[in-house]
Parts: sequence; structure tokens; C-alpha cells
Amino acid sequence: MIANTPESWGGLAKFFHWTVALLILAQIPLGFAAALWRLSPLKLELFVWHKSTGMLILALMLVRLGWRLANPAPGLPPQTPCWERRAAHASHGLLYALAIALPLSGWVINSAAAVPFSVFWLVPLPPIAAPDERLEDLAKLAHFSLLVALCLVLAVHIGAALRHHLIKRNDVLLRMLPRAWGRP
Amino acid sequence: MRPEWVLALGVLVSAQASAADWKMDPAPSRLEFVATFEKTAAPGVFKEFDTRLERFEPEKPEAAKLDVTVKVTSADMKNGDVNRAIRGPEWFDFARFPQAEFHADDIRRVAPGRYLARGVLSLKGMKKDLEVPFTWQESANAATMEGELNVERLQFGIGTGEWADGKTIGLGVRVKFNVRLRKVG
Repeated sequence: MIANTPESWGGLAKFFHWTVALLILAQIPLGFAAALWRLSPLKLELFVWHKSTGMLILALMLVRLGWRLANPAPGLPPQTPCWERRAAHASHGLLYALAIALPLSGWVINSAAAVPFSVFWLVPLPPIAAPDERLEDLAKLAHFSLLVALCLVLAVHIGAALRHHLIKRNDVLLRMLPRAWGRP
Repeated sequence: MRPEWVLALGVLVSAQASAADWKMDPAPSRLEFVATFEKTAAPGVFKEFDTRLERFEPEKPEAAKLDVTVKVTSADMKNGDVNRAIRGPEWFDFARFPQAEFHADDIRRVAPGRYLARGVLSLKGMKKDLEVPFTWQESANAATMEGELNVERLQFGIGTGEWADGKTIGLGVRVKFNVRLRKVG
């Protein structure tokens, strides 16, 4: 039940998928709020939440990547055309890459900006780059560009899942839902 | 001249010779402060400051006088946004209070090589009594003065308004100094 089967996703894969999905859903508005808020204690708190959530996503994604490599994913329905298979593989690969690259680029921003930061106010995060304002600007640009890319690929991902469910009427969406949600 | 007078003169000259005036060598001298930012150490430095120590006799420092001036506007916390923020009226208020001073004329030896300077710190328009402990190491015409102490930022009105509760920026600030001095006469 924890592992994937050839037909469906296992419990662990579902846990990773929906936990990361919820965290990303919270993370994007949190990031905008933190970046746009006027300088105040609340802005600093929002940034600690945003950065901590980012580090949590990074940790989950690395474990998830390991699990994904160790545990074969269920196959697509047999009649799926070749271009769709390729598109699915590419978009899944991109989502993994972006969900890892975004927190990494944030970590570079924080390091280059020399902002002291402890994950959830508990664990001090070491810098991964030397203080450098040019690198900070570059990393901010990368962070934002990666976000735009993530939003585009997420739109494709959600659109494709809904197409499978509503138009093609197969179980590609349902098999990622918790079993308690009435899947036969 | 009678022998006892010669002796007395000799004692006086040697006493004056061991009580020296000292000037700071700015290049190797450091004045640092460590604030806390979201419960994480946030170091900063005052790049420009000056220290003068007059009539300091290591064995008998009571007559000495310590004067420190700090160019508050030279504060650097390594981050552009933070450096812009600390200029403002809620923090250091560079425009109105560009300089801080510490003057002490009560210096005591508490142990061999260890001293306590009691004086007044003027910072952001406020004057408060402050005790500054330091160690003293002297060789030839150079000496090193080193120490650290805590300063409560709200005593000097630093970080007022919504910053005053100390939740995001801690209330205590650790101040550390390592000052190289050269003997002048």
C-alpha cells in the first residue's frame, strides 16, 4: 500500500505529491507577500515562513526523488499516444527539477544577501554562496524566472490531469487521490 | 642635591615613564556588534572609530582616561537592505546622531591584565552609565585591548515603535572590540 503498483500510486507517493502540492500552493502567495510587504517585523516573519517552507519543500523533494527512482511509477493507459507519454515524462521531470531549483535559488539569494536565517527559527541554515550583491540580483532573477516556469508547467500538469479525468475519462487523476475519496 | 631628593626625582620620572598615552592604530582595530535577527546571530561592524587612552599605567590605572568615538554612520551589517534600514530614525538615526562616544575616567584593575572601565556611553542622544571590561597586553610600544559587553538597545532608543518588542530583532546586542594601540610619548 506504501509502494506503487503497475496500476496505481502507493501511499508514500500520494503523500509526497499532495504535501508538496499544498506547500507550493501556500509558498507562492507567501513569497509575494514577503517580498512586497513594507519593511516591518511582519515582513521578516513572512520571510522566515517562506524560507522555512522552501527548505521543507527542498527536503521533501529530495527524499521524493529518491523514492521515485527506487519505486517505478504506474504506467499510463495503454492507448496513450506517444507524444502524450513524452509530454508527461517531460513535464514531470520539469516539475521535479523546478521544485528543487526554486528553493535552491532562494537559498542562494539568502546566502548572497548575507541574511541570517534559521529554518522555522530553530536550525541555522549555512550559506551556500559568499555575500555578493551582483549574485543576489542574479539569483533573484533566477528565482522569479523559475517561478514563472513552474506556474506554466503546473498549468499544463493540472490541465492534463483534468483532461484525463473529464475528457478522456480514465483513472489517471483518480489514482493519485487518497483512497478514502471513493475510488472503486 | 641631597641623595633623598635625587631618589624622589628618580621615582617621579620612572612613574611618569610607565604611565603612557596611547593612540589607536585603525587598520588592525575592530569594533563589532552582534544583534539577533529572527533568533539568529546578525553580525555588524563599525568601520570607523577611534580610541585614546591617556595616562594609563597597567599597575595603577586609576589616573587613566579612556575616550572612544564611534562613527555610527560607518555601521555595516553586510546586507544592503539592512544597512539602509538602520540609517532611519527608528534605528540609529544617522542624520541626527552620526557619532557615539564613550568616556571613562574610572579604570580599575580587577585581575592581572584585566580591567574595568566605568564611564558614560552617549548614543543616539542618550547618556547611560556603562561598564566596559577589557584585557590588556603590552609589548614594547604596542598594546592590544580586547573585550566584550552587552548593550540593551532600547536603553538608547534603538529599534523603536513596532521593533521595540524584541521578537524579530532581539533586545540585547553583544559588542566586541579588539583595539591595537601605539604608545605616544
